Amino acid sequence: MKTQKNVSAHFNNFPKPLLGDWCIILLSLGLIVISFATLWSHQPAATLRIRAGNAVLGEYSLMQTKTLTVAGKLGKSVIEIQQGKVRFKHSPCHNQYCVHQGWLSHANQTAICIPNQISIELTGAKAAFDTLNY
Amino acid sequence: MPQLHFQTTDEDHRIAKLTAFAIGLHLIESAFPSPLPGVKPGVANIVVLYVLQRYGIQAAVWVSLLRVFASSLLLGQFLTPTFLLSLSGAVLSLVALTIAVRLPKRYFSVITLSILAAFAHIAGQLILVRLLLIPHGSVMVLVPVFALAALFFGVVNGLITAKLLDK
Amino acid sequence: MRYFILLLTCFTQLSCSIQLDPLYHTQTYVFGTLVDISIYGEEESQAQQITSQITREFQQIHNRLHAWKPSEINGINRTFTENRPKLIEPDIVNIIQDATQLSIQSEGLFNPAIGKLIKVWGFQRDEFTAVSPDQTTLEALLAEQPKMTDVVMNGRQITSNNPHVKLDLGGYAKGYALDVGLKLLNEFHVENALINIGGNVIALGKHGDRPWVVGIQHPRKPDAIATIALESGWAIGTSGDYQRFFILDGKRYCHIIDPRTGEPAQGTQSVTVLIPPGARAGVLSDVASKPIFISELSNKAEFAKKMEVSNVLVIQEDGQILATPEMQQRLEWLDEDAKKRVRTLQ
Repeated sequence: MKTQKNVSAHFNNFPKPLLGDWCIILLSLGLIVISFATLWSHQPAATLRIRAGNAVLGEYSLMQTKTLTVAGKLGKSVIEIQQGKVRFKHSPCHNQYCVHQGWLSHANQTAICIPNQISIELTGAKAAFDTLNY
Repeated sequence: MPQLHFQTTDEDHRIAKLTAFAIGLHLIESAFPSPLPGVKPGVANIVVLYVLQRYGIQAAVWVSLLRVFASSLLLGQFLTPTFLLSLSGAVLSLVALTIAVRLPKRYFSVITLSILAAFAHIAGQLILVRLLLIPHGSVMVLVPVFALAALFFGVVNGLITAKLLDK
Repeated sequence: MRYFILLLTCFTQLSCSIQLDPLYHTQTYVFGTLVDISIYGEEESQAQQITSQITREFQQIHNRLHAWKPSEINGINRTFTENRPKLIEPDIVNIIQDATQLSIQSEGLFNPAIGKLIKVWGFQRDEFTAVSPDQTTLEALLAEQPKMTDVVMNGRQITSNNPHVKLDLGGYAKGYALDVGLKLLNEFHVENALINIGGNVIALGKHGDRPWVVGIQHPRKPDAIATIALESGWAIGTSGDYQRFFILDGKRYCHIIDPRTGEPAQGTQSVTVLIPPGARAGVLSDVASKPIFISELSNKAEFAKKMEVSNVLVIQEDGQILATPEMQQRLEWLDEDAKKRVRTLQ
């Protein structure tokens, strides 16, 4: 009890940080935590990157349930995200290789629909390779 | 032949005095070994922050830059990488302070200024390291560590400055 | 507050700009497949210009060598049928002579003269369907015995002793384009780049302070089975039964036709070859894997020797994984199970 009072008395000697100061401190802490998470994790959570032709259409979190419709060269490909995994659900292409690839769930997996010129790839913070020999 | 006149004002004297104080703090600090190269308390920044709050940004720029040049001359580091790192850190930190002093005083005290200056300082140094010394990304892995140290010393220096300004 | 937000954006901008690799990466679709070009350490606008020029060149090669659309090769095939001679461009002369030499070297297992066979199996289409030609058709086509050695070159004039020769450079063109791409990169003084044409890859320089790394596709999973560091000038190529195929009555028919039987090669899922630097590294990365893919397991090592490749990885239908000792040293396995099962190809 006594020590606690002493400590707080000691602290009272210092000017207290203001509201904005606290915001800055918390914000910085948040950013630092994020930077640790992205730069220091060896098995990073994968994010989904969708490309149509050469254009990156967007990056999506895998941690959601969502169906995306992407326009390609032949028509519309349907990409399904389901809590940690993603797949080509429907494709206008003839041979349906992309659909048969099934679910992708971890970093560095890719499925490409060559006829419709759409690719989905799962990327981590650190790519295991620069390109794929297939 | 025209004669050279040095007219010194009170302000010049004040700046000189405060710079000398900053140099002193810096020299003391550089006598202590650091656990990780680049992680330092940066106590000289307390003087810069104090000057900024008391006499404005212009005085702070003088003190900060004079401190960098003078310390490096005294420590025999002038124009060495250490000096360049110190200079780039100081410059970016001054840029950050120039912008940050416009924050509303009601919500943001000198502690915020100290934290932002510390971040800018380390950012300036890392950019230089990346550009000149280690051209590839490996040093970036240490960014979180430097940032954490910058936050910690930023808060501590800010509190000390606030205390000094209180008196 | 406005300035504070400004300051924060500055910080994020800074941290982004110092973290990013100076890597320019682009994907396009040429040769009916994905072309993926990475350039390291060049200005983005510069890199963009260079890649678009290379892509244009690839498109041109594709158009000129196309097997079933109007092209120079297509024109040659027509004059073969009509038994007429034809004047052709010097670079096409070189391509055909090179392909002929490689066909001889592979004892005919690499045979770009069997365009007719490829057509009856339906692979000479962008979108092919499951077709199974009847035995009499196949036997008739085999009896025609189209070979590269039937082609006669007299300066720039080309004729064929066999009207049934139908050139299909599908197993050559992508590799050839890799060599052209590398030449262009050198002309543009690019020091670090990686070109991938439908899985055939050639490397130039490095990715920063490390070599370029290529993932090798698992033939049955959407994963890489292993990775391999590709030093400057090296090329890698894979023949797989999973790139172009159809399944009929539960049986897989792939686009690689065995010229001896006239049927899609069976038993092998993929063959990967690694080719050391040289003027034809790209071509070899495309061509050399084919005879190894087509030949029986017991002959694979022998055909690797015939094609003069020492870095070979073979994945068989029955799950066997074989690699030459040189290749084993270079492979970094990602698939632990595959790593345990790998045996020496010799």
